[in-house]
Amino acid sequence: MTELAQAVVNGLQMGFLYALVAVGLTIIWGLMEMINFAHGEFLMLGMFAAWGLSAAFGLDPLIAIVPIGLVMFAFGMLVYQQLMRRVQGGDPFTQIFATIGLLFLLQNAVVAAFTSDYRFANDTLLVRLGGAKLTLLGLTFAVPLLLAAGLALVLFLALYLLIERTEFGLALQATSEDRDAARLVGIRPQRMFAVAWGLGAALVAVAGAILVNFFSVYPQVGLQFTVLAYAIVALGGFGSILGTLLAALLVGVIQSVTVVYLPPAFKDAFVFGSYLLIGLFRPQGLFGRF
Amino acid sequence: MSRIALVIGAIAAIVYPIPLQLQGYTYYQTVGFLVLLNAMLGIGWNVVGGWAGQFDFGPQVFFAVGAYTAALLFVKLGVGAWLGLVAAVVVAFLICAVLTYPLTRLRGHYFAIATVAIWMIAQPIGATWEFIGGSQGLFIPVKPRGGVVASALSLQFSGPTKALGYYYASLVLFAITLALMALVERSKLGYYFRAIRDDQEAAEGIGIDSRLYKVLARSITAAVFAAGGVLYAFWALSVFPEQALELNWSTLPIMATVVGGIGRLWGPVLGAIILIPIAQIMSTTLGTGPLAGRGVDLIVYGLIIVLIAAFRPTGLLSLPWARWFRLRRSATA
Amino acid sequence: MAPLLSLESATKQFGGLIANREVSLTIEPGEIVGLIGPNGAGKTTLFNCITGYMHPDAGRILFGGTDVTHTRPERICRLGVARTWQVVRAFGRMTALDNVVCGALQRTNRMSEARARAGALLEFTGLGGKTDLPAATLTLADKKRLEIARALATRPKLLLLDEAMSGLTPLETTAAVQLVRRIHAELKVTICVVEHVMEVVMPLSHRVVVLDYGVKIADGPPEGVVRDEQVIRAYLGERRAAR
Repeated sequence: MTELAQAVVNGLQMGFLYALVAVGLTIIWGLMEMINFAHGEFLMLGMFAAWGLSAAFGLDPLIAIVPIGLVMFAFGMLVYQQLMRRVQGGDPFTQIFATIGLLFLLQNAVVAAFTSDYRFANDTLLVRLGGAKLTLLGLTFAVPLLLAAGLALVLFLALYLLIERTEFGLALQATSEDRDAARLVGIRPQRMFAVAWGLGAALVAVAGAILVNFFSVYPQVGLQFTVLAYAIVALGGFGSILGTLLAALLVGVIQSVTVVYLPPAFKDAFVFGSYLLIGLFRPQGLFGRF
Repeated sequence: MSRIALVIGAIAAIVYPIPLQLQGYTYYQTVGFLVLLNAMLGIGWNVVGGWAGQFDFGPQVFFAVGAYTAALLFVKLGVGAWLGLVAAVVVAFLICAVLTYPLTRLRGHYFAIATVAIWMIAQPIGATWEFIGGSQGLFIPVKPRGGVVASALSLQFSGPTKALGYYYASLVLFAITLALMALVERSKLGYYFRAIRDDQEAAEGIGIDSRLYKVLARSITAAVFAAGGVLYAFWALSVFPEQALELNWSTLPIMATVVGGIGRLWGPVLGAIILIPIAQIMSTTLGTGPLAGRGVDLIVYGLIIVLIAAFRPTGLLSLPWARWFRLRRSATA
Repeated sequence: MAPLLSLESATKQFGGLIANREVSLTIEPGEIVGLIGPNGAGKTTLFNCITGYMHPDAGRILFGGTDVTHTRPERICRLGVARTWQVVRAFGRMTALDNVVCGALQRTNRMSEARARAGALLEFTGLGGKTDLPAATLTLADKKRLEIARALATRPKLLLLDEAMSGLTPLETTAAVQLVRRIHAELKVTICVVEHVMEVVMPLSHRVVVLDYGVKIADGPPEGVVRDEQVIRAYLGERRAAR
């Protein structure tokens, strides 16, 4: 029984990290209903950046999230302005197609620069805290994961406040509800979209920078996170930030509980199986808008 | 497709591998095989994606179902390839219909994730189910039969005419798929699919059971993918879960369809003819030599895709010069 | 003679808002019934319930004697109810002909027959010269005619027209009214129109039903309804604004 409880606790912590990975997608999708196959590639770039800065300058990933976030914000806006803006009005499949092309580009640019070898961040704060544990109520909390989850939660809350409590966030929401009405009150949708892409890219890259403490770094690492992020966003209900958090926690728990009883290859299968099950009863996800 | 272009194309396709055979360039026959296979899959995907307008990223599951069904029937029961193909198509159609019906209450992107979900669940099943060989996969033993007819009937080609044989086999399947889908396009099914795509609720208002027809569209796509899977299985002579379930089996046909023009019957054909040779050429030029293993070919490939998407979002068939290749009643696209 | 359509205390609620409150009405075969009421009175909700896009929370809906309270839209169409939409919904990427063919395929499986019938209906609705144009390129008035033709192709016994005249110029409105009369007289279809334009509804309808805040407040011949106290009060102020 404690094994199960332990799994749940570990899953919740991972869930906070997943929430950070997925929330950028929620913003982009919630605003523009755009599917982005390259979402995980932004994460991969964040990972490589964090690893690179750590290996070259000894900069800890947890500090590096600031420059990485800023750079990726600009990059996300650039991607929107140069590519996504052109395909926005057209067929949704063309948008998907465009992001697949982006995926090839980004992934292989990194392969060209760094090869497909696996890399590890060795000398970071969280890695050095590797064995440290905290025991509470008979459950063990690995300190690195706990700290990472805490950081992810803080960032997530900051984003939530940004969206719900600031004028900018309201403008973002207004644009997603009704583009033309937003225009009428002086909001420029194009600008909102660019910022949304910037935010989305920045958040997921920052998540990658945090995750570099736990996962190996290689150019193809992105796709699994893209798929998982979509499942989370859909499960929570496209466009709902709160839904994303809850769904991410749920996914984290499902994954770690599954691993207790079954081979690890099944953990994602159970996540998606749960999605199908929930989808049958709530086709719009847990907090979806329609 | 204007008649002249059709005839020219058919002759070109039939004649294409012959000079290659005489010169010994069998690699290019294999490229042709891949073009035809992906074009066929693209035409199949067009039914659910282009006509019915559903986001479906999971047909590779039925590609694998087809490959495994035919391989199992051959290995365990000695059932010939073509008979196995018929069985595989039926099995895939039925499995897809049963799986998809409950999913039809999901709309748009939720439905898309559901199709991905089935794929994600299929992966560990494929890797661990011993009946189908698990991660060790299935091997199709080669029993070379002498003679052209025997080889064609058993779908097993070997020796110097191996690539040639598979090319013609894929041409036959491609032609059959094209003909059948053309019939579907002009039939009640085709009309109903497009109605659902344009406005599902309005379609229901004129008596169209949207759930049934979404299931039918997806199952037809599944059937085509299964046929492709059978062809693949007998070409590769083995079926492994990672290879058969690879996402590329759907993304490549989808990309070909988008490049060529989604919703147009010949779209995937044009797209496949363009994309696959480019990918192959680049992997043999940029992917080898001093830049090998650095993914440069894929960078260029990605760049091409991005440029096409950015500057010609409606697909290449919408370009003026492509009007010879378009259906005369173009408004049905 | 049994009524063609019968609503028995149909109630539909959205959270706190009661869109239809115990609405009972009947439509006899061969009638033209006008359904009017101020904005937000619940007319479109009623249409949605009748055609199966929504289901009443209480009460029953019977069509031709069959209980269709919880039936899906496509089945209701098959039973003989067709509708047009408040915001016109043609199949934009298809030609006008193909739009109507989709409707005709409801009653025949032969493409040639469907196309012939579609062509005839397009002529009937005045779109004869526009059969091969993509529906998205048609004018609003033509799109509305297309919707009507497509609905007629399903051989309905009852045709529900949801604000078919909105957005039309006076000339287009006159033509639309003539079309409705011809549908009733020549095709023998029972019709129910939701309308805001009084000058259209009153002369056209045999009977008028008035909804206000979800409740039926009047039901009778047009001359009586315009003089009804409750109706006048419901429209107070709006009556002057109506064209």
